[in-house]
Amino acid sequence: MSQIAAETVASKELVDDSTSSKKPKKTIPLSMRVKGWDYTWIVLFLAPFLLLYVGFTIYPLVATVWYSFHEWNGSGALDEFIGLQNYLDIAQDRSFWLSFGNTLIFAIVNTAIKLPLSLLAAIILTQKWMWFKRIWRTVFFAPLVIPVALAGLVFDFLLNSRGALNDVLTAWGILERPIDFLGTPDTALITIILISVWQIFGQYMIYWMAALQNVPESLYEAASIDGANEWDKLWHVTLPVIRPVATIILFLSFVNALKVFGLVAATTEGGPGQSTYVVSYFIYNQAFRDMPFRYGYASAAAVLFGVTVLMAVTLQGYFVRRAQH
Amino acid sequence: MGNLTVKRKRNPALRFFKPGRYFGVNMGILIALLIIGFFWIYPFLWVVFSSLKTQRDMFTSGARLIPETWEWGNYVRAWTEANFSTYFLNTVIYASAATAIEVVKSSMCGYVLARYRFFGRNLIYGVILATLFIPIASIIIPQFNLIRSMGLLNTRFGVILALSGGAGALYVLLFTSFFETIPEELFDSAKIDGANFFQQFWLVVPLARPIIATVVIFQFMSTWNEFNIPLVFTLSRPELRNLAVGMYAFQGEFSVDWTGFAAGTSMSIIPVLLVFFLFQGYFVRGLQGAVKQ
Repeated sequence: MSQIAAETVASKELVDDSTSSKKPKKTIPLSMRVKGWDYTWIVLFLAPFLLLYVGFTIYPLVATVWYSFHEWNGSGALDEFIGLQNYLDIAQDRSFWLSFGNTLIFAIVNTAIKLPLSLLAAIILTQKWMWFKRIWRTVFFAPLVIPVALAGLVFDFLLNSRGALNDVLTAWGILERPIDFLGTPDTALITIILISVWQIFGQYMIYWMAALQNVPESLYEAASIDGANEWDKLWHVTLPVIRPVATIILFLSFVNALKVFGLVAATTEGGPGQSTYVVSYFIYNQAFRDMPFRYGYASAAAVLFGVTVLMAVTLQGYFVRRAQH
Repeated sequence: MGNLTVKRKRNPALRFFKPGRYFGVNMGILIALLIIGFFWIYPFLWVVFSSLKTQRDMFTSGARLIPETWEWGNYVRAWTEANFSTYFLNTVIYASAATAIEVVKSSMCGYVLARYRFFGRNLIYGVILATLFIPIASIIIPQFNLIRSMGLLNTRFGVILALSGGAGALYVLLFTSFFETIPEELFDSAKIDGANFFQQFWLVVPLARPIIATVVIFQFMSTWNEFNIPLVFTLSRPELRNLAVGMYAFQGEFSVDWTGFAAGTSMSIIPVLLVFFLFQGYFVRGLQGAVKQ
């Protein structure tokens, strides 16, 4: 019975979806049509956002593509057009592909750990009978307000071989000898992934809490009457209802995880060896650190990475949508 | 019936101690959360308590939190000698101004995209949506060039412009999907009353309060902690730095003063946390309307 209830809701959402996506194409409602002075107002309303957006997002993106066809150090005259040479070089740059792989591992593992746990936390912290909800939410949210640079510094302190964690682990006999978690190639990447989960957790918990509020209380009541336990309710009511939103959260999480930079810069700087070398750090190194500066080359790396990700996301989105309809 | 009224009159402070149906579950979760929560905020507590330790104590205390002696002087030093008062003021200015701009521009844009169908509307919407899914790795040099060519390098206005210029795609989409849910009839009746374009917008802005709260908190938080933009755009004017950059420089200039650093950090994160604690109700309700689409 509870399953039926959930399916009704899901199918209702599908119907809603299809009608609303058809609406603008077929007939535009009278109140949505634009006439007379409205055009002036619309331009006035769009201008502040669009001007800043074009200046600080679109123009930089286009400029980056343009730079990628040049040999350029980032400050002198932009006059050495070299066509696709940067891209050909990148294709053979082992550091780039290594960082590409690390970034993918980072984003996938990070998302796989973060999303289920934050969903669980969100479910628990939205229960009506739960005590001290505000305090617990604030606790899980707290790491988010620590600047990344500082979080890196703190964990350097806590996780080095003489830090607090090793202190505790060796004292309790869990470890025989201390491990420098961020300084050992085998543990560095997973340590950074876990720190990143810790830091961003609160944000995703909030996203999930918002998604959960879309589930009508009456569905849970109906499920309870049908004798469903908490587990049934989760599988047959909560998850089906929040699925469309969950897809959005999944994409946001993945794309944001691909941008990882601050944490790496503040803890390992890509090391030890190249075990935590990620794409944004590769770009930063090429553009601002390794002499001579190769801003054109770095731009090519950014474009190649951005295009790959956009394609992957689009494809994924296509398949997810097909699976859902 | 009588029973019910009696129940309602109970002292609300007592409701936590009423051994109800969920008492056992609550106790179990409470204990689990106490343990997890402690480890969760341990790094956080570590910073706050380090700000009250002596330098030697901080390095030798290992996992211990409580200081040997309470050193309030760290705060005085950070606030006065290390210019944290200036940085604090700058951060408040940057974060408030950028947040205000963000709310105004994304609500106006979202409103128009939601309410009107005009030439180019779908293109604008599509581009905004697409840029949300591009991992923009490094666009600071073009941004830098733009600000420089406008003559705004090393000015507060330049920093604010860059801070509020780059973000906002998600916020516009939040506002758009919220305004789409407002029934047409509301606007029709407003029109009959003779409301012009702006007055119609002004009429529905208060309804979007949850979205506004969401944008305020997310944007305030991210600009409060923003590092790259203030660093690059104020390189030659240290007095324009915000807290995040100021703290970074603190590492270099006073490389031994870790406890002062911790004190500065505590000062900068506690206000934001307070904002969250107080506004979290709004926050969740805001996102709720938004993610429905």
